[in-house]
Amino acid sequence: MAYKRAEKNPTQILEKIRESLDRLNEKMDVFIDIQRHNPRGNMDQSITDVLDVMTLLSLPDHLRKTAVTLCKLGQATADQVAEQTKRARAVESGYLNQLMLMGYVKKERRGRKAYFYVEKEEKE
Amino acid sequence: MGKIIAFHSYKGGTGKTLLSINLAVTYAKRGKNVCLFDLDFRAPSLHVAFASEGAECWLNEYLNGTCDIKKVLIDLSQEHGNGGRFYAGLANPTTEAIRDMSAKDRKWEMRALGRLLSLKNTLLNDMHLDYLIFDTSPGLQYSSINAIVSADVVLVVTSLDTSDIKGTQRMTQELYDLFEKKTGILLNKVPAEMLTSESQRESLYKKLNSIHALPILEIIPCFCDILRAGGTQIFAEEKVDHPFTKTLEKIATKIENF
Repeated sequence: MAYKRAEKNPTQILEKIRESLDRLNEKMDVFIDIQRHNPRGNMDQSITDVLDVMTLLSLPDHLRKTAVTLCKLGQATADQVAEQTKRARAVESGYLNQLMLMGYVKKERRGRKAYFYVEKEEKE
Repeated sequence: MGKIIAFHSYKGGTGKTLLSINLAVTYAKRGKNVCLFDLDFRAPSLHVAFASEGAECWLNEYLNGTCDIKKVLIDLSQEHGNGGRFYAGLANPTTEAIRDMSAKDRKWEMRALGRLLSLKNTLLNDMHLDYLIFDTSPGLQYSSINAIVSADVVLVVTSLDTSDIKGTQRMTQELYDLFEKKTGILLNKVPAEMLTSESQRESLYKKLNSIHALPILEIIPCFCDILRAGGTQIFAEEKVDHPFTKTLEKIATKIENF
């Protein structure tokens, strides 16, 4: 199916590239951090760590903000986190997935939505 | 929506408990709905000022997940309220409970953080409390950092002691700033001879502003009669004309607009 490509001016394209590079840099930071904490390079997603306050303190600023917000909300979509942090949904989605890769949060799909949570509240 | 205020300090003995009790009572006198929690599980003290009868559970049990928060609240509205409600939540002061709280693992602390964070909903939103005040342990303890993360405003009580100043500076950079909390300093126990004139007070403010990267909310003189009372009197309630009570009034107003 033919589609019309949206025309963008060079400034918009450069801005888009800059945003992508920023995101790439943040992801690299996370991978370096994972490597530092896990020198054998085990990137198994099933490994879970505890998101306690000492861990929150050790996270880079941008991830800490996302993690604290998720702790406050209990469970949330990237949209709900973005609403609290006033950052873009795509940015929060990236950070939440990075936290998941690091083993601090879990993700669950319900229909078309992805919910992130630190720990499911046990029924008492 | 109400506010959660956490009293914290680098060192012990700076006056957190005295100030948290008196600030809670100051707000109660203004007709506000107030709740005061003892989150200093290593050295509980609020049970001395507020009798523990009337509560089914300690805060320890709430954080353990074995008790509803409403069963922790001691209703002291008759004694301390002024048209509003006044509650206290106490930490278990027995040696066994202190030992138990010191041996909690990281997972327990993570769950405790979740339970403290949920108080915003249960106490401020559902019960319409205006102020929830946390009295915490000094230094970098799990329970106090959990309280700081859960709070809207952090009041750091400090003294003129050099190690206290240096510790507070470190905590500002490595704790309060990282969680982006509204934080203010209360300089407590300042020798009266350092505050005999307004110019002396002004120069002390200037000096403190150059030392600390946080706003100095108030300078509180050392009052010998408060020390003599040994924590048995609530000055904000019993001595309404005392300069300490007047200072608490000023702090309460500043926090309202903080």
